[in-house]
Amino acid sequence: MSQEQIEILQRALKREKAARKAAEKILEDKSRELYALSEELKISNEKLAASVTEKSSQLEGVFKNINDAYVVMDIKGNVLKMNSVATNFFGYDISKEKLNIVKLIYQADATYAFESFNTLLNTGSFSNYTARIITKKKEIKWVQINATIIYDEQHKPIAAQGIARDITELKNLEKQKEKILKELEKSNGELYEYAHIVSHDLKTPLRSIDALVSWIKMDNEGSLDATTLQNLKLIEETLETMENLISNILEYSSAGSGTSESQDVNLNETMLNIQKLLFIPEHISIQILKELPVTKGDPTKFQQLFQNLMSNAIKFSNKEKGIVVIDYVEKPSFYQFSVKDNGIGIEKKFHDRIFKIFHSLNKSKESTGIGLSIVKKIVDLYEGTIWLESELGKGTTFFFTIKK
Amino acid sequence: MLKLEKMKKPLKVLLIEDNMIEIMKMNRTVSLLKAKHEITEAKNAEEALAILETKTNLPDIILLDLNMPKINGIEFLAILKNDPDLRHIPTIILTTSDNRKDILECYRIGISGYILKPLKYEEYVSKIEIALSYWSINELKSA
Amino acid sequence: MKGIIFTEFLDLVEDKFGLDMVDKIIEQSKLESEGVYTAIGTYRFSEMLQLLQNLSTNTTISIDDLLLTYAEHFFSVIESSYPGLLATYKDPIEMLASIENHIHVEVRKIYPDAELPTFVVEEKTENSLTMIYKSSRAMHHFGLGLMNKTFEHFNSTAQITLEKIKEDGTEVKFIINKNE
Repeated sequence: MSQEQIEILQRALKREKAARKAAEKILEDKSRELYALSEELKISNEKLAASVTEKSSQLEGVFKNINDAYVVMDIKGNVLKMNSVATNFFGYDISKEKLNIVKLIYQADATYAFESFNTLLNTGSFSNYTARIITKKKEIKWVQINATIIYDEQHKPIAAQGIARDITELKNLEKQKEKILKELEKSNGELYEYAHIVSHDLKTPLRSIDALVSWIKMDNEGSLDATTLQNLKLIEETLETMENLISNILEYSSAGSGTSESQDVNLNETMLNIQKLLFIPEHISIQILKELPVTKGDPTKFQQLFQNLMSNAIKFSNKEKGIVVIDYVEKPSFYQFSVKDNGIGIEKKFHDRIFKIFHSLNKSKESTGIGLSIVKKIVDLYEGTIWLESELGKGTTFFFTIKK
Repeated sequence: MLKLEKMKKPLKVLLIEDNMIEIMKMNRTVSLLKAKHEITEAKNAEEALAILETKTNLPDIILLDLNMPKINGIEFLAILKNDPDLRHIPTIILTTSDNRKDILECYRIGISGYILKPLKYEEYVSKIEIALSYWSINELKSA
Repeated sequence: MKGIIFTEFLDLVEDKFGLDMVDKIIEQSKLESEGVYTAIGTYRFSEMLQLLQNLSTNTTISIDDLLLTYAEHFFSVIESSYPGLLATYKDPIEMLASIENHIHVEVRKIYPDAELPTFVVEEKTENSLTMIYKSSRAMHHFGLGLMNKTFEHFNSTAQITLEKIKEDGTEVKFIINKNE
C-alpha cells in the first residue's frame, strides 16, 4: 500500500470517526431534547388531567347541587339521567326502574304537554312550561320546566334536557291569595252593607226628633216665646249637622273599599254630572281648560273625588267673581289633575293636616271635615298622590295624580 | 184645581213600618190631607203578610220600609211579587237608605217608586202628599 | 441539506469510482464540514454543489447525468427505508401527481426543516402528467431520476421530457407519458 493510499485511508477513517462523533452528539442532543419534551408533556398532561377532573367534578357538583330537578332523556321521552333532586321529587329511581316522561304527565294537562314537547322538538327549546305532574306516590305537583334539545355533530336531535322547578308551594300561595282577596272583597262588601244599615239606624232617630220638634211648634203655635223658638231652631240645625256627618262618614267608609267595578270613565261626563248636582252660585264660574281623558275605575269614586274638591272650591270662595279651573297634564304612567280656585287660600301650616279625617278648618253645618279625607282615600285607591299650592287670600290649587 | 181635588179617590194604604214615630208621622201627614185615605199599619213583614193573606179587602198601594227586623223589606217584596194575587199592588219603598245596591235590587224585583225619607218633616209631608196624590188619581184594580 | 443526501452520495461515489475519488473531491472542495457527514445532520447545499462540480470535472460526466444516476440510487434508499409510503400507491402517475400534496407533507413530518422543491400539476390524465418543477437548487435531473425509478417500481416505463422554463433550471416543465 502506497503512502498516498495510506493517507487517503487515514483521512477517510478520520472523517468516519468525526462523523460518528457528530452523529452521536446529534443523537444525544436529540435525546436530551426528547427527554425535556417528554417531561414537559408529562407536566402538561398532568395539568390537563387535573383540569379535566376539576371540570368534571364542577359539573358533577352543579348536577348534584342544583336545587331543581334535572332530567336528561332521549327524544322518545325515556329518562337517561336524573339528579338526586329529580329522583326525590318524581319518586322514580331510574337505576332500578325504567321511566318514560309520559308517565309523569297529569291527565288534564296532557294536550298541553304534548304540544309543548312538539315545540321542543321543532324549535329546539321551550321555556316556562307550567303544568301539573303526577309523582310515583300519586302526588300532584305543579312544575315549571325549561328544556332544550341536545344535538349530535350532524345536528340531529339525540336527547333532551330539562330543569323542572317545583312551584307547588307557589301555586298554593297563589290560590290562597286569590281566596283571601275574595274573602276581603266579601268582607268589604259586608262592611259597606253594615255602614248603610248603621247610617239608617242613626238617621231614623234624627228624622223622629225633627218631626217631633215640628209638631211641638205646630201644636203650640203662637204660645211659644222667642227663646224657645230660637232653641227649637238650634235643635233643627244640630240635626242637620248630625245628618251631614252621618252621610259623610258613610261616604268615607265606602270610598276606600275597592269595589271590583272597573270600567272606562269619561271624566267629561263626570263633570257634567257634578255640575248638575252641585249648587253653583251665580258669581262662580267653572272652567274646564281642555277635554278631559277617559280613565279606568269606578265612576262613582271619580265623581266623589272631583265633587268634593269642587264643592270645597265653591264653599271657600270669597271673591266677587269666583273661578274654579279644572285642568290636567298627561304623563307616561299617570294623569296629573288640578283643581284651582281664587278663594280664601290655606295657610302653609295646615297643608298636611287638611287631609286627615275631621280636620275641618272651618267647622260648620256643611263642613264636616271628611270631604278631603274622602278625596285622599280615593287618590290612594288609584295609586296616586295629592298635594296643594296655596296663598292665603289669593286661592288654592289642589293637584292629584291617577295611575293610568 | 178644584176639579182635580174631586177626581182624587181615597186610597187604602198598607204602611209597613216598624218605627212608632214614623207611623205617627204618616198618620199626622194623612190627617192633614183632604182626601180621606185609609191607613192600615203593619209593624213588620209578618204582620203585613198576615193581613194580605186573607186576600180580601186588599190595599190599593203599599208603602214599605226596607230596614226591618226578621224578614227585611227586600225579602218581603220578593214574596209579594211572587204571589199572583198580590203582585199587582203598587209598592213604594219609603226608606232612609240610599244604598245603590238596594235601589237596583228593588227595581229588579219590581217596585212602583222609591222615596227617600228626608230629614226635615216639612219635606216629608210634601213628598208623601205628592206620592199619595199621584196614586189617588190612578185607576187601580180594586177601585 | 439533509446529511443523508451527502452520505448516500459519497457511498455511491466510493462504489462507482473508489475511495480515492471520494478523498479527491473532498480535498478539492472547500468544505465547512471538512467532509465529515452523518445522515442525521444538516449541511450547506453549496457543499453538495462543489462535490458534484468536482466529480463532474474529474470524471468528465455532466452534473445532470450524475444527478440522474444518484437519484436512481437514492430511490432504492427510499424503497428500503419507507416501504409503507410507496405501498399506498398503485400507480406511478398517481404517485407522482401527489408529490406536493402527500409525499412532501410526509417528508416534512420526518425532516421538519427539509427544503423541498415544488411540483405543481398542470395537467393529468390516466396515463399522462404535466408538472412544473420549481427550486432554487435546479436539481431537476435528481427529480427525473426518481421519476424513472418510480415507473420501474411499478413495473412500467414512461417517456419523460424536460422543458426548461428558466434557463438556469430553477423552473422546469416535466411532460410524462406512460408507455402502454
